[in-house]
Formats: sequence, C-alpha cells, structure tokens
Amino acid sequence: MLEIKNLYCGYGSKDVIREINLTVESGEILCVLGPNGSGKSTLFKAIGRLIEFRGSVRVDGRETAEFSRKELAKKIGLLGQHSPLYFPYTVYDTVAMGRYAYSRGPFSPLSPECRDIIEETLAVLELDGERGALAGEVSGGCLQRVFLARVLVQDPKIILLDEPTNHLDLKHQIRLLEHLKNWAAKVPGRAVIAVLHDLNLARAFARRAVLLSNGRLAACGQAEEVFADLADVYGMDVGRFMLESLENWKTGPSV
Amino acid sequence: MKTSARLALCAAVSLALCAAAASLGSSLIGPGDTLRIIAHKLFGMGLAEGIDPKNVPIVWLLRLPRVLLAFIAGGCLSISGAVTQSVLQNPLASPHILGVSSGASLGAGIIIISGFSLPLFGSLTLPLAGFVFGLGAVFVIAAFSSAIDKALSNNTVILCGMVFSLFTGALLTTLSAVFSDDLKRIVLWQMGSFAMKGWLYVKLMLVFCIAGTAGILRHARELDIMSFGDEQAKSTGVEADKVRKRLLVFTAALTGAAVSLSGVIGFVDLIAPHAARNITGPGHRFLLPMAFLSGGSLLVLADLAARTVISPSELPVGAVTALIGAPFFAWLYFWRGRNGTSDAGN
Repeated sequence: MLEIKNLYCGYGSKDVIREINLTVESGEILCVLGPNGSGKSTLFKAIGRLIEFRGSVRVDGRETAEFSRKELAKKIGLLGQHSPLYFPYTVYDTVAMGRYAYSRGPFSPLSPECRDIIEETLAVLELDGERGALAGEVSGGCLQRVFLARVLVQDPKIILLDEPTNHLDLKHQIRLLEHLKNWAAKVPGRAVIAVLHDLNLARAFARRAVLLSNGRLAACGQAEEVFADLADVYGMDVGRFMLESLENWKTGPSV
Repeated sequence: MKTSARLALCAAVSLALCAAAASLGSSLIGPGDTLRIIAHKLFGMGLAEGIDPKNVPIVWLLRLPRVLLAFIAGGCLSISGAVTQSVLQNPLASPHILGVSSGASLGAGIIIISGFSLPLFGSLTLPLAGFVFGLGAVFVIAAFSSAIDKALSNNTVILCGMVFSLFTGALLTTLSAVFSDDLKRIVLWQMGSFAMKGWLYVKLMLVFCIAGTAGILRHARELDIMSFGDEQAKSTGVEADKVRKRLLVFTAALTGAAVSLSGVIGFVDLIAPHAARNITGPGHRFLLPMAFLSGGSLLVLADLAARTVISPSELPVGAVTALIGAPFFAWLYFWRGRNGTSDAGN
C-alpha cells in the first residue's frame, strides 16, 4: 500500500537520504532503526511530502504528489518530533485540529462523526481527564499522547511515528504500541511505520524492520535478521551490547 | 461565561466607548445629544429641541469620523498583529516586522519632500504613496526571503524584514537630514494622528478593513493549526505555504491602509492581540473579532487622551498608545495571574 522507489532527498544541494526502496504492506508495523543523523526523520518528511524529494512515493497506487494536502492527510498521518507550543490551546482543541481535513467551512462546527472519533481517541489514550487543561501545561508524556491523539483522529491509512515512545513511561510505551498494533489490524489497509530505538519494543511489536545508515537502507527484512546487522552500523561494541542485552532478557543475566 | 457571550459583551462595551468618545472633547456634548445628532444624520430624523445646531458639525464632521477612523484602524492593526503572531509562531511579532510601516514611512517621506501630487488624487497622494510603498516593502521582503530560503521559514522572514526595515529607515533618515526643511512634517506624519481626516478617510479605511478582515477570517481554522508550526499544519492537511502567503498579503493590506491613513502607530498591533487572547483564548474564530474590538478600543481611548489631556494642543497618538499600552500590558501579565500566557510551551 506504500511503495517507495528510488527516493533521494535532502536539504539544499546535499542529499540526506539516497536510493531508498521500500514497500509497506497493509496491517504491518514496520520499525525503522538507525543512528542519529542517519536520515530517519528526513525519510518520514519525504513520505509525508513535507520536503521536496526525487523518486516515487505511492500510496494506494497513487503518487503522493498528486494528492491535495487534505487528501494526503486522510492517507498519511505524521507524529513528528516535538512541535512548539506558543499559544495556550486546550488539550481538546489541540486534538480536534486533527479533524481539519474533514472540516467544511471555516466556521462549521465539528460534525457528530468528528466528535465521536475525538471522544473515542481521548478515552483510549487516557486523556479524558485532561481535555480542559492547556496543552502547554501537561506533562511531557501527556503532551506526547495529545499529539498522538491528534494524528489518530486524522484517521489516516498510514501513521508515521518519529520516536513515539519519547517522554513516555513504560506503561504508556507499551499501551501506545499495543494500541497501534490493534489500530493497524482493525481495518484492512492500515499500516504503521515507527522509529524505535528500543529493540525489545521493536521485536515485540514489529514483524519487519529497516536499518538506515548514512541515508541508505543498510538492511531490510524480518526484525531479527535486521538486528544481526546492527553491529555493522552502530559499531561492534554497541551492536554486541544491544544483542546481548536482548539475549540476557530471555535467559537471565550471566552476572 | 461562554466565549461568544464574552465577545458580545466586549462588542457592546466598545460601542459604548465609541459613543462616549464622540461626546467628549473640548466642548462637552452630552451622550444623549451625541446619539441624537448621529441618528439625525444617519436616519434623517428631525433634530431634537434643545440641541445647539453648532454642535451638529462638531459631532458629525469632527468627532465621529475621528473616533471611527481610530476604531477601525486600531482594529485592523490588531487583527494584523494577531495573524502575524500566529503565522510566524512568535508572540512578539507584529506587522512592523514585515516592513509595512517603514516602507510606508519612506513613501510618505518621499512625497512630503518632493511635494509631488497625483492629478486625480490630490491630498490623497500621500496616503496612496504610503500604501504602495508599505505593500511594496512586504513583497520585496517576501521575494528576498524566498530567494534565500525556498521553504520561506519564519526566521528567514523575520530576519529579512528586520534588515529591510532598518535599511528603509536609514534611507528615510538620510533623506530627512538632507531635506531638513521637511523634517517636522515627516516626523509629525510618522507620529500618527486621526485629526482632521474626515469621512473620506473613514470610508477608505472601511473598504480595506472589510476586504482584509474577510480574507483573514476565512482562514481562522488554518491559523489555529499553523500556530503549531508548518510541518504540523501540512501533515494535518493545510496548504500552509499558500495560506501563509495569502494571509501575509491581507495583513500587509490592512496594516498598510491603517498606517498610510493615520500614520505609524505602534504597539497596538503587539499588545491588543494578547489582551484579546486573555479574553477569548487562542482559537482564531473568536480571537480575531476580539482582537479587532480590543485594538479599536485601545486606539479610541488613546486618541481621546491625545486630544483632551493638554487640550487645545494635541499629543501624538502613537506615543499615547504606548503610554497607556505599556502599563496595561504589564498589568495583564504580572498582576492578573499567569494563566493563558504565551510562554505556556516552555
């Protein structure tokens, strides 16, 4: 449902990501791994058409460049790294903005359908009690869920999550990923692509993974196969540490 | 109280303020008489007994147009300020950053120095030049910013605007130093005034006000989303680049009209939107109308003070705005609790 072919893009004249070929299937959770600066966020921005790129990105068989922004918002939702909050909107208003693509006129109130999906999402993400609070005054973890709720009410087919577990405690990390897994499985034609640095979480929730290194796809396939290549990208010591801690988790540490 | 009720209440207060301002001045005309004179002129009602006929032109030709011009210009400046702050995601931004005022000042300065007058426009040549130069400045800044930075990021716009404003300011300073005979007129123009402008100015201002405000209100929903940043806005479905350009044009037209018809009046565009945000919250559907009311009311008050405090002389209204505005702003932020302040994100 998402096909990326020969994707190049970057800032100015320098390509930050090069020659990316990737296909994401319906119902899938794909994990993106890679060191800082390897181009993960840039890849997401290109998929969401937030920056210019060369190559082809197709959603449901159509180039993203052919969509209007509103149409694209119904296909792809992006949870980026934190956005600034300069003005005191409430949690509810912030979440409700996710329904923009479905709004009619500038002054039309939210439709009953919009209100339902907002209520449902607030309940699932345990934001019910915070709806009247100012988005700038809730905790970092709560704010992360507010932005996630905004992406969910957008009701896209593909959700891109750039380090979604940032600022979240363990309970909310697991809740969030479980929720996304159910979300993707619930309706055919949905998929999630997430940057995760935690291999435990990656293995538990993603069947497939890709590994980015210096803007190129260093590995792509079953999560555990890709983990085997980590040492090539992160360095022997880090790779070994990551894999050993994964193993130790299973068998108990050999103090 | 519901936000819409608060807005309605503020509209009533603003209207009362305008009526009061029209009845106050060097010769006191009772508010009842003032309203009767206005009704007499507007609806052709017979002039009630006991009203001194010489008060009719004072209210109708001097005070009312002055109050209305102040109110509409203040409203336009304030709406422009609210839009600039949201679009540039900077609570300290004001349309001055876009170079409108400095461009308009340069245009007005050139006309004053050259004594040039367009055949059909006569005395309107001055505001026309101010408007054209003010709008021109915005386009130069926009073109320059997008040449440096294709994505037209906010920092680039702000930086280009500041550089360009300083440059045109320096040009005007140089010009007025060379042609020092006109210095006083240029400075007086820049200080801003609503005196002796008359109905023509009110009508001109109203045309720009309606067109610009309508163009901006259409994008109230996009403005909410864009205040979270471009990436958020685009991925939510907003054509952020297009909408931002359109909003900047409308903002420039509103500010350009206000500045060229009444002179450079600062501060109202910075603080009136903040006052409005405290009353309605940041949602633009209510914020924009509220900003219009708060900006209009502030300028009506400032102008009232400007013409009455040392009457029969007048104070420059721009200075009075800041004199009233600065303490008000301080009160708003330091004494009235800090809920809903702009640095909520930090």
